[in-house]
Amino acid sequence: MMLALAMSATIAAVLAVALYRQWQRARNLQRQLRAAAADLEHLQKACARLAPAGVVQSLVADGIRPDVGPTAERKLATALFVDLVGFTAMSERLEPEILLRIINGYYQCVSDAVDEHRGHVGSYVGDGIVAYFGAIQPNPWQCDDAVRAALAMRASIRDYNAELAREGLPTVAIGIGIDQGPGLAGLLGSRARREYAFIGRPVNLAARLQALTRVHGTDILVSEALRTELDPGFILTPMPATAVKGFAEPVVTYIVEGHSAHVDIAEAPKTSARSSRDSSA
Amino acid sequence: MASALEHVAWETCLVDPQPDRALEAYARRKTGIPVRSIRYFTPVPWLARAVIDLHPEYGLLMHLDQNTADLLTLIVSRENSCRFCYAAQRALLWGQGMSEAHIQRLEQELSAALAPRTAAAIAFGRTQSRVGPAAAGDARAALRNAGFGEEEMKEIAFTVAVTDFLNRAHTIPAIPARPLERMPDQFLPRLLRPIINRIIERHRSRGQSAPLERAPSHPYARLIERYAGSPIASALGRTMEEMWASPHLTRRCKLLIFAVIARGLACDVCAVEIRNALEAEGLNEPTLARVLTHLDAPELDEIDRLLVRFARETIWFDPAALQRRARGLRDRLSVPQLIEVIGVTSLANGICRMGAMVMGHS
Repeated sequence: MMLALAMSATIAAVLAVALYRQWQRARNLQRQLRAAAADLEHLQKACARLAPAGVVQSLVADGIRPDVGPTAERKLATALFVDLVGFTAMSERLEPEILLRIINGYYQCVSDAVDEHRGHVGSYVGDGIVAYFGAIQPNPWQCDDAVRAALAMRASIRDYNAELAREGLPTVAIGIGIDQGPGLAGLLGSRARREYAFIGRPVNLAARLQALTRVHGTDILVSEALRTELDPGFILTPMPATAVKGFAEPVVTYIVEGHSAHVDIAEAPKTSARSSRDSSA
Repeated sequence: MASALEHVAWETCLVDPQPDRALEAYARRKTGIPVRSIRYFTPVPWLARAVIDLHPEYGLLMHLDQNTADLLTLIVSRENSCRFCYAAQRALLWGQGMSEAHIQRLEQELSAALAPRTAAAIAFGRTQSRVGPAAAGDARAALRNAGFGEEEMKEIAFTVAVTDFLNRAHTIPAIPARPLERMPDQFLPRLLRPIINRIIERHRSRGQSAPLERAPSHPYARLIERYAGSPIASALGRTMEEMWASPHLTRRCKLLIFAVIARGLACDVCAVEIRNALEAEGLNEPTLARVLTHLDAPELDEIDRLLVRFARETIWFDPAALQRRARGLRDRLSVPQLIEVIGVTSLANGICRMGAMVMGHS
């Protein structure tokens, strides 16, 4: 009798342990599933930085339907092209680590200015950066935003140069070209590799204007089409019409000197990187 | 219960909670539970009342089924990355007795096995949040094709617009979301869940037909009239009337905020509504044109200039960046002014999206 009781108790204990382990395993699996779902959500949000949310979803859908080609739509957007002056010469004489330090700081200055003014960095082309305004979401203030971003880059590079000089490193100079017009915006590329881009005349002209900054000895040039859309508070200096490659007519440009009464709402410094630790209600 | 938005960066709260017994009692009477978050809005009573009065859960919907409305609120809050409203809606569903697994299934099935009508309503909510009124025509056609009647479509437009309003009202000041996110995991709420469920159920109600007491005369009166016969008309009418009458910002400044948001959303019907009201305030056409084109004009005073610029930031946003910009206003405005800016910009975002759908196509 005692033996039977002991055996029953042992079996019950073994079963209880097995059940407990099973329950723990199920709980762990559930936790992992939740973490995976959160990771996926996080990934989708991260992808939204590269392309609009709708585009990311269609990209996900295209992933399981490889026959679907790239999608794009006609949009009115502003293209800003920025490039480092004398980068090739600099890259030949500097150590790679120093070059990397300098160029990464420059990328940061430019990207921050674009983000701050509701733009979107399209791509890095060597030391050049193409940014778009109004290509993702409708933005009726895209021309002013782009020129304000250019002015912010000018100020930011000035501060960055002071920092480089303090460290005994060579300083940098930039050239910026801006134009607005219709183009094609969307996920462009081959089936294997696509990126969100805006293509068309404004991007080409912005690149040419950027090169023209060397000719006119300045750092920010905008096109005639863009000037007509700009806030009259911007101080502009007209430049003589100049022939540029790829355009039949000489191009009229304007140097952006500044703004007569610039009012903007600066972002306050970050109070917390993540807010899981935010205060209780 | 892990929230999908817990990774979204959220600044520390911009305003201090200020208890107000009368307003808190009002909220408790309507919802059955303490609504501590309205303490952040009490310096501007119309806003504190609006977050309660306009909530689609309490006696406003007559035609749209409540489950679709709940789902819309959840999805639009997620689209707008509003941690507070998303957590609040999840907690509400949980409090109503829905299991964690069921809520997760609802979220996961959004792109798959939904009924065509529900899927169309959710697609509309997403479109309004992502693209705005520019896509209202197509979204309206899709809703009709899915079998929704005119009255149901108006209630869908209302639910989405009010969620857009609530999302901004809680995101801009960064109302703490963590307590709500944690609630379903805490011992006491779990223990009291059946009681919470009963209280919520008792206070949750369907709308009853209600005549519009008097024709409104303020801007967007046409929108209110479109909801005549529904309790939405009087709730929305009262909120709008109190908002226009509130003294912390000038009526002109509020109209300019509406005008900028309507322009950013490319909502033509709203633009007409606002232009007429601004003309009545003495703002001439060239000045308005300049404000709408460049967000500035010499005729604007310092606060107007600051707030038209801020208004455009609320149309499309990243929560933390918007919260930092709002913090930038704090030194230049009084607390009631700051809270009223939050209320007016949030309401304008909802109203402009609703206006395009209900008053006509943009």
